[in-house]
Amino acid sequence: MTDAALPAPARRGTRIGDVLACQLRVIGALVLRELGTRFGRDNLGYLWLFVEPALLGGALGTLHYVVAHSVPGGLNPFEFWVIAYIPFYLLRGVINRAPFGIQANQSLLYHRNVTVLDILVARNLLEGAAVLGALIIFLVFFGIIFGHWPSDPFKMLFGMVLMLLLAHGVSLLISAGAVYTELFERLVHLVTYLSMPLLGAFWMVFWLPYEAQRLALWIPSVHIFELIRDGHFGNLVPTTYDIGYVLAWIAGTNLLGMAAIRRARRDLVL
Amino acid sequence: MIRLHDLHKAYKTHLGVKPVLRGIDATFRPGEKVGILGRNGAGKTTLLRLIAGVEYPTTGKVERQMSVSWPLGFAGAMHYSITGADNARFIARIYGKPIQETVDFVQDFSELGEYYRLPVRTYSSGMIMRLGFALSLAVDFECYLVDEVIAVGDSRFGERCRKALAERQARSALLLVSHQAETVRSFCTTAAVLNDGRLTRYDDLDQAIAVYQAV
Repeated sequence: MTDAALPAPARRGTRIGDVLACQLRVIGALVLRELGTRFGRDNLGYLWLFVEPALLGGALGTLHYVVAHSVPGGLNPFEFWVIAYIPFYLLRGVINRAPFGIQANQSLLYHRNVTVLDILVARNLLEGAAVLGALIIFLVFFGIIFGHWPSDPFKMLFGMVLMLLLAHGVSLLISAGAVYTELFERLVHLVTYLSMPLLGAFWMVFWLPYEAQRLALWIPSVHIFELIRDGHFGNLVPTTYDIGYVLAWIAGTNLLGMAAIRRARRDLVL
Repeated sequence: MIRLHDLHKAYKTHLGVKPVLRGIDATFRPGEKVGILGRNGAGKTTLLRLIAGVEYPTTGKVERQMSVSWPLGFAGAMHYSITGADNARFIARIYGKPIQETVDFVQDFSELGEYYRLPVRTYSSGMIMRLGFALSLAVDFECYLVDEVIAVGDSRFGERCRKALAERQARSALLLVSHQAETVRSFCTTAAVLNDGRLTRYDDLDQAIAVYQAV
């Protein structure tokens, strides 16, 4: 009984190492809690984490496979749609959930160790891990069934990480905005739905005429989808992307997002 | 030591900006047991939230040189969808405490019986309050912020809380906000009165209570 009553460590220390250690500890605890509250301990439990995106991706892939839409470049339509849909699911999932990120976890902010950023990082990390898990399941499946293994799995992994970071940066801005107005909450689904054809998930840059390619390459997610396809299909099709451009977007959205979150925290009424 | 420097807090409402705290300066030292008396709506809870860092002041500053608990007496710090034991695990993780000891301590102190293994949403308000208090004692803060909670609970548990706080007399400070003079008298050694957005401290408990009752 007295063992638990050790003096409480001061809030985040002032040394950068202490701050990081505390942040990692908190994020770890938040991920575990999020797992518990989202999936519970019943039936499939944590397995839903991977099964949910996998089912959606699989259904979409099967649909296009059965309808037998051919994909330019002679790619396997099932693979094309799954490889497109899974990173898209990550982007859309993180952004659609962003307006509720703070609201759903307000009670955590009673603990001064827990920052808004910790909460949002934990949520998005979990989402990223789930979708990555689903992607790996499919890649193994493709390897076994179609005999096609990714040409460069590290490019695909890198692409998924970039997608998560970009989505995270945008989600920070949306979460911060949602503190001030309901508008984000109301419009986010509409906007992600309408922007679906623009994001580059379901077409490739080389399908487009030259002028359209130049416009398309302004959109950062287009580059990421191309990178992931390069990792999967390799030289089977031409891909176009600029990682520096994507990193600039990631840096921009994340820095602005963190500044916005910091501001919003001050105005938050719990 | 906790220092409040010219603390102001105003909330935006549909009827315009409503100031709640209008310039509060105070110092709370380690081990002090201070009662803060105020009528309903005087801003007691707001003051506690600012000290806890749950909300931020509009202007002014809160300086904390000791570890300060979350404001006790709200369900705020807990999760309704997970069990009491899981809440204890979560608290242990975020405050860097040993997990099993914390779970055992909270089980022991909160006396929830088998409810400890059920989701918090199935608890009565008294049980939630007991869990919250046990969780905060497990972390062992240097200063406890209490919002009339002990007075609400049943007397047996109230007595245990009083004992637990008394055992920590030397190192733990207590800030208790209440609208009842008797509660403050039984827990605190000095008191302050919160009125009209300002806080006045009195070294003498009886004087503070007399002033409060005259307000």
